[in-house]
Amino acid sequence: MAALGEAWSDPWRPLAGPALLERLRVTGRPRPKADPEFVHRIRHHLDEELSTDLAGDSSGRHHIPSETDEGSAGAEERGQAISRLPPLVVTKGRLNRVLACDAHHPDAGFGERAPTTAMACGAIVDVLFRQLVCVGAIGDPMVDGLAALAVDDRQTGLASWIERLPASDREELRAEVERQAEGLRHRWPALEGSWLPRTQESMRVQLAAGSIELSARVDLVIGRPAEDEASVAIVEVKSGARRAEHRADLHFYALVEALRSCAPPFVVATYYTRTGELDVDPVTEELLVGAASRTLIGARVLRDLADGADPRRVPDGLCGLCAVMPERGPGRAHVEGSGGQDVTR
Amino acid sequence: MRRGITRASAATLELTAPPASRVVDDVRLRIRDRLVSDLATSIGELALGEQVEITLPLLRRAVAHPEPPAAREEPFAWKPIFVRRSLGLALVNACATGRFRSPCEGAGPVAADAVTEWRRTGWRTFHWEPWFAGLPLGARAVVLADAVGWASAVWSSFDWSGFAALPQIGGADDQWTCPALRTIRLKARSEMRVPLTTSGPAPRGDQCATRQVALVSVSGGSPADGWPDELAYLALVAGLGSPSRPVPARVMGLWPDAGLRLTVDIDESALEGAAARVSDAVKTFVGARLSVDAPC
Repeated sequence: MAALGEAWSDPWRPLAGPALLERLRVTGRPRPKADPEFVHRIRHHLDEELSTDLAGDSSGRHHIPSETDEGSAGAEERGQAISRLPPLVVTKGRLNRVLACDAHHPDAGFGERAPTTAMACGAIVDVLFRQLVCVGAIGDPMVDGLAALAVDDRQTGLASWIERLPASDREELRAEVERQAEGLRHRWPALEGSWLPRTQESMRVQLAAGSIELSARVDLVIGRPAEDEASVAIVEVKSGARRAEHRADLHFYALVEALRSCAPPFVVATYYTRTGELDVDPVTEELLVGAASRTLIGARVLRDLADGADPRRVPDGLCGLCAVMPERGPGRAHVEGSGGQDVTR
Repeated sequence: MRRGITRASAATLELTAPPASRVVDDVRLRIRDRLVSDLATSIGELALGEQVEITLPLLRRAVAHPEPPAAREEPFAWKPIFVRRSLGLALVNACATGRFRSPCEGAGPVAADAVTEWRRTGWRTFHWEPWFAGLPLGARAVVLADAVGWASAVWSSFDWSGFAALPQIGGADDQWTCPALRTIRLKARSEMRVPLTTSGPAPRGDQCATRQVALVSVSGGSPADGWPDELAYLALVAGLGSPSRPVPARVMGLWPDAGLRLTVDIDESALEGAAARVSDAVKTFVGARLSVDAPC
């Protein structure tokens, strides 16, 4: 009983420094072997399934080069087999939205979300994390964060929105950013340069003769490209609360990295800067197969929607828009299904 | 992938393999003459004094977005993406010469050295030094992080101990100006030039001028349809711009985002494909320019 009492009196503390690094490095499972044959089978499956869909498409929108249906194509053949049409881009966000509720997918396209304080905090913490990894220091978090957003074309709208915030909201944002930056400074470990840490790494994989492109941008990649054994760790940084789809995001990253490098990462992890929690997922073949299945389903729905198909009008508990837009059909059903309670709180 | 040969060493071996062929001067001359003739016809409708400059990005855009640009181009302003390549190349060079173990280690010092040198001499090696020097810490970090990511991809693509001689990293663009009434300039930018050795000792000094080289080109995104012509374009411009040097023997393209490495061995048909692509791009470009200039 005394031991139990001690355990209760010793609150959980987030990992920091070498312990955090060790948690990333040692997952408790052997690192997967780099198995190009296995990765090739996943790619072949995705290519074949998505190309079969295209072959049955009569809209004439899709073009499939005939030389690409072998699946055994090497890198050069893959490169030659690119469709002339712009690919349908599949990202983690689009997958999440369309799989949670494809009725609301059109409401949440690329870059169309209205800024919020949480979004601003996330963007600033992302650039501060990047700064810490690359430069090793953070000065005034708000000043550094806004300076970083100001030179990023994709963030100029958000930066200007932050500048226009009422003083009280801005102070609230500043307090949260400073709190999270302090946590980063104290907990995030220094990374050896020889591990080739790189931030905001873009990853693209084209499938089905280039008609589909899986696209991801990951916050941190550590490790040299894999040779015989998986050697890369991928870390996603989140400034908000843990959400169900974060694990699916990680699995999507693992799949894209495996497909582009012919070797999976050995671990994918989410680091929550608000709490210091680190969710670690060792990468296994099962994880990659699951991610491929989910991606295939989502890509099909996205393509159907792009081709003008009617979305399923099915409310889903994972769809934030259903919850916050009860005036819409699926949202109303969602609220009624939850007994009229506000499930967003 | 064969066991025992890493991906990086396989890339280095592929890049430095003895040349598969050598484009003789007669062929080079014939391709040049045909290109001059084609281009002179294409630009005949442009006003005298007009200039056309073709680059690899423009060659790509001519296929992907042949329509004329919707709006006037914005005036130039420095952005991290414009610094990424030049600082990234400096980082790769600093690692290749043993100054740093990795791009991440070198980013801060290399950028600081560039700014110090500019302040001391007024000479801008990279052009971005004054802009970078005036940035606050947060913005500088973005510039450095972008360059580190770019350089890390290049650095980890090769087994640097496998090069017989240090490749030329960066350097001036290749250029060729078409002798026509309206100026057409072809410009090509390679990230690396690797002297190729068939046998014997590694080339030194002026010997490089007579040895064939392999070029390396780094691009974002995924390769598009026609990537072999795009890679061969770099060899075409190098071959036309420096007629006293051999035409590059091969061009390797790296698309780090997509994890792809594709190589073209340069022979007559590769150069012809690239020349045809240039002719098509100039036609598209001239058509777009004339449609913009045409009265409504």
